[in-house]
Amino acid sequence: MALAEDDDPTLPCGRTLSSVWSRAEEDEGAADDPHLAECPYCREALSRLGVLHRYVSETRQADEAESAGAHAERIAERFTARVMDLVRTELRPGRTLPLGEPDDDAWITEAAAAKAFRTAAERLPGVHAGSCRVTLTAPGGPVKVVMELAAGLTWPVPELAERVRRQIRSAAGDGVGMYVAEIDVRVVDLLDDTGDDKEEGPA
Amino acid sequence: MPGPSDALLAVRAGEGDEGAFEVLVRRHSGLLLSLATRLLGSRADAEDAVQEAFVSAWRRMPEFRGDAMFSTWIYRIVTNRCLNVLRSRRPTQDLGSVPEPTAPEHASSPGRAAESTAAVEALSEALTGLTPEQRACWVLRELHGLSYEEIAEVVGTSHQAVRGRVFRARRYLTEVMGAWR
Repeated sequence: MALAEDDDPTLPCGRTLSSVWSRAEEDEGAADDPHLAECPYCREALSRLGVLHRYVSETRQADEAESAGAHAERIAERFTARVMDLVRTELRPGRTLPLGEPDDDAWITEAAAAKAFRTAAERLPGVHAGSCRVTLTAPGGPVKVVMELAAGLTWPVPELAERVRRQIRSAAGDGVGMYVAEIDVRVVDLLDDTGDDKEEGPA
Repeated sequence: MPGPSDALLAVRAGEGDEGAFEVLVRRHSGLLLSLATRLLGSRADAEDAVQEAFVSAWRRMPEFRGDAMFSTWIYRIVTNRCLNVLRSRRPTQDLGSVPEPTAPEHASSPGRAAESTAAVEALSEALTGLTPEQRACWVLRELHGLSYEEIAEVVGTSHQAVRGRVFRARRYLTEVMGAWR
């Protein structure tokens, strides 16, 4: 009983089944089409679809119940751990950057340096770091850092940029042990944090 | 504070930040598992498919440019993975043997486990009679509420083709669910 590809029957009133069903889907209730409300063939076609939709909404409800609440959170947590165990076995080392003096033969991956700088930037309230590229300005260093970030509207952008630069410079000097010649901070998104400032609210 | 956006996290993951990728996995795994379960009809197969999809996504993260939404992108990877699984299953479904579905229980209470009602089981059973492509388009439309354009992007076809598949799926399902005399 496989359906033919062009199996779109015409109802006795002259409308095709697909046109009746898609009217019902797109104009909610199809109130502007008196034919749909009056034609017995169209109404019959719609009621058949309605029966199917009752099964659909039961299934949607079941799926929603399944993916809400503490039980679902535990499942998501376990599943995420499983995925991340696999992800962490994937080698994706990326580029390396020299550390210290030219003769030291010490290096760090770009990803690890970027992680340290993002963490430093995110110590500022309401700041989410995005892309962070760390590249050599000359063979052997020093490096240039380009960081994109999203921040709350409460930050004046010039002050934010200066604070982020300071955070990165101190993480580079004290933590990573790397000389940063240039820091380019780009604010790519402003987040409306004015009504949702839970972190600073009373405990 | 709202958490960082998918777009921001996806860029970071592309640069090798595992922590950012972990947040994306946690954020999207529930919906993707429920999608894959409806596509494959098996929770265990769904977990394998979504897991493989995420590992593949991690490898391909550096190519992710942010011109698509991360959610559409990961939906596409999961849907393709499920389509491959469905296509590789032997065509053992004899459409004549689909059991008579039972009526939905309208008075039932929410909050019970999925699959516990006859209606949900009947629909799941009926879905096995669709082609993999019809099934994917129909599930994305009816159970996940994607627009025809979004589905076209996810399955990589035109939105007219998606409309055709959803229509044929509905015709088949209304028939099988006993609504068609």
